[in-house]
Amino acid sequence: MDLTYTPRQQAFRAEVRAWLKAHVAAEPLLTLECEQGYHQHVAWERQLASGNWGMVTWPEAYGGRGLDLIEWLIFEEEYWSAGAPLRVNQNGIFLLGPTIMEYGTEEQKARFLTPMAAGEVIWAQAWSEPGAGSDMAAIKTTAYRDGDHYVINGQKTWSSRASFADWGFGLFRTEEGSQRHKGLSFILFDLNTPGVTRRPIRQLHGHPGFAELFFDDVRVPVDNRLSGEGDGWKVAMATAGFERGLMLRSPGRFQATARRLVELFRQHERDASPAAREAVAKAWMDTQAYAYNTYAVAAKIMAGGSIGAEASLNKIFWSELDRAMHRTAMQLLGAAAELRHFADGRVNDWLEGYMFSLSGPIYAGSNEIQRNITAERLLDMPRVGAG
Amino acid sequence: MDMLIAPERLELAEAVRDFLSGTHGPEVLRRLDAGPNRDPALWQGLVEMGLTGLLVPEEHGGLGMGLLDAALIARECGRVALAEPLVESAFVAVPWLVAQGDTSDLATIARGERRIAPAHRLNGAVADGEGAALDSIDPLRRLTTLPADASDDALLLDLGALMAAAQLVGLAEAMLDQAVEYSKIRTQFGQPVGGFQAIKHKLADVAVALEFARPVLWRAAQALDDGIASAAVHVSHAKVAATDAAYLAAESAIQVHGAMGYTYEVDLHFWMKRAWALGGAWGSRAFHLNRIDAAVIGGPHPIGPENTFA
Ligand SMILES: Cc1cc2nc3c(=O)[nH]c(=O)nc-3n(C[C@H](O)[C@H](O)[C@H](O)COP(=O)(O)OP(=O)(O)OC[C@H]3O[C@@H](n4cnc5c(N)ncnc54)[C@H](O)[C@@H]3O)c2cc1C
Repeated sequence: MDLTYTPRQQAFRAEVRAWLKAHVAAEPLLTLECEQGYHQHVAWERQLASGNWGMVTWPEAYGGRGLDLIEWLIFEEEYWSAGAPLRVNQNGIFLLGPTIMEYGTEEQKARFLTPMAAGEVIWAQAWSEPGAGSDMAAIKTTAYRDGDHYVINGQKTWSSRASFADWGFGLFRTEEGSQRHKGLSFILFDLNTPGVTRRPIRQLHGHPGFAELFFDDVRVPVDNRLSGEGDGWKVAMATAGFERGLMLRSPGRFQATARRLVELFRQHERDASPAAREAVAKAWMDTQAYAYNTYAVAAKIMAGGSIGAEASLNKIFWSELDRAMHRTAMQLLGAAAELRHFADGRVNDWLEGYMFSLSGPIYAGSNEIQRNITAERLLDMPRVGAG
Repeated sequence: MDMLIAPERLELAEAVRDFLSGTHGPEVLRRLDAGPNRDPALWQGLVEMGLTGLLVPEEHGGLGMGLLDAALIARECGRVALAEPLVESAFVAVPWLVAQGDTSDLATIARGERRIAPAHRLNGAVADGEGAALDSIDPLRRLTTLPADASDDALLLDLGALMAAAQLVGLAEAMLDQAVEYSKIRTQFGQPVGGFQAIKHKLADVAVALEFARPVLWRAAQALDDGIASAAVHVSHAKVAATDAAYLAAESAIQVHGAMGYTYEVDLHFWMKRAWALGGAWGSRAFHLNRIDAAVIGGPHPIGPENTFA
């Protein structure tokens, strides 16, 4: 254990900080859930890529910098500290990217990773279906083989960014008559392929942040399948592991929220309850705990280890922490909490953030499901009975 | 930057775990409870493991290890609800004496011939001290009145709080294990109660609390060992996180045991009562929360993403 940064790490931090200082706009972008905001965020991805900051851990050959996970964490810390925009391509760079790195062929890596890091192709994920939410193995959408193509028919839903994105990835039933986890394949598809219909869905905040996808004889080359036919479940579990475990929600995001919460508290200190005071102190504690844990996980991976079902503990913790911080802020704001814009015209980020934080315990596998996994796989409790 | 605990440090803690689980099982707790609470043979075993000299510098006959090693082992002591006063003598008093430059007793402490009961004013009492006996709910705690010359030294308090936190983590882990085991063997409605989701989720919450208390503890131990200026804040963080995890574990574990958990016969109560004792000792939850509050909300401690290790 050594809790000091090396000179090289410090120099890297300074470099990231300087670049972000020079490039992050003073005016915040519009929300990425609306069309105009989406395009602003895509432009930002391309700007990041122009400085080779798209995905610093990836090999240089794919537009990365070949850096390690500690340097990635430093990058993320500086990124969130600078108030830089949300990553519109997060489903690509944080989820699909690592999955391709693990399961893709060399040809697939070259074909998909480079434009991903460059922000040229923005990705949506398509697992959920109307009848397959928590119970993802109930997926019905089929992709049957026809020569060197799959022909996709069916429906996906709740696909984040799919209202505007370029490509999608998801699980499809490739074996006729197969059941549950078997006979599924992991397939990547161009959202502009003929036969794909997108129907944007308005979210709580009113913007079309996700979409339904209808597939009507959509022809996708077999080369777009990741790993073997019928291996889809295994590959999808790896993606879910990245989502819950390490990549999707780096601690810097929450530490930045905690710092803003402390500032908000100081402004409202006179009227604040002792309970709010404790909740603010707890925000600092929990975001720090989350950061230490992430550094520990990164160190473990760098030493050759891997993350298993502990990813579920992580997902429960960050999603409930984020919701608690925003709830505290809503209560501190009092009568101003309901305002979408404050009187001075600024967006009420706490309200927007609170709405988003309500989805954290639902997406990426609901927290009830994560608690089931924790109990059954980590604590080895019986798998019988309700559930 | 490396948050990994070196394998050889973990190996030492594991060796202690094996030793304690072999020599200090629940039957020992029951035996001690029925008799004089302390057992020279158990103490001798700890001495022979080298634990009394763990933090004593090598030139005084000890192993010269650091606070992280001691915290890892204090957690093991918590796991078995160790009754002998190892932690406070060897892991709290020793590093404090070393920091004072007071080396006169170190060799005898390392040899196990002398034990120090560190007395801090904030505690209002002292464990295994010389004063009149006080009546703790913890049947294996020997609480005595505070001597007039009790210290109010800040480092002593931080060492005591850190090691209490480490034991609280171990206590909580043990209570979680006991609840999980019981949930597998007790059947109702034709199935083990551990199959019910309400029970699973309760214990999953304990697992979450522990997962995010442990790295805080390691960080605090390293911070105090490194002597960084903000170490006290991190110790307070560890104490609050460990106390909360231990209370949650205790309340969840008794619930999972049903009425069995409410009996004196089931061993759970030994761990639960130690958790109550250590949760309040070496600075209450409020004391530590106030220290965090003063540094983070009211004070100068740098916060935000780039200050993870400030
Ligand atoms: C903001 C947002 C973005 C999303 N983005 C995407 C995306 O990009 N791609 C995608 O494919 N999907 C996406 N989703 C969908 C998400 O994956 C699902 O919402 C999630 O898997 C839960 O499924 P469901 O909504 O059908 O809820 P249901 O499965 O119907 O669950 C309803 C309730 O029942 C509980 N429940 C269900 N099963 C159990 C059980 N076994 N034990 C205990 N409780 C249970 C759930 O926890 C939940 O509380 C997104 C969702 C949100 C909110």
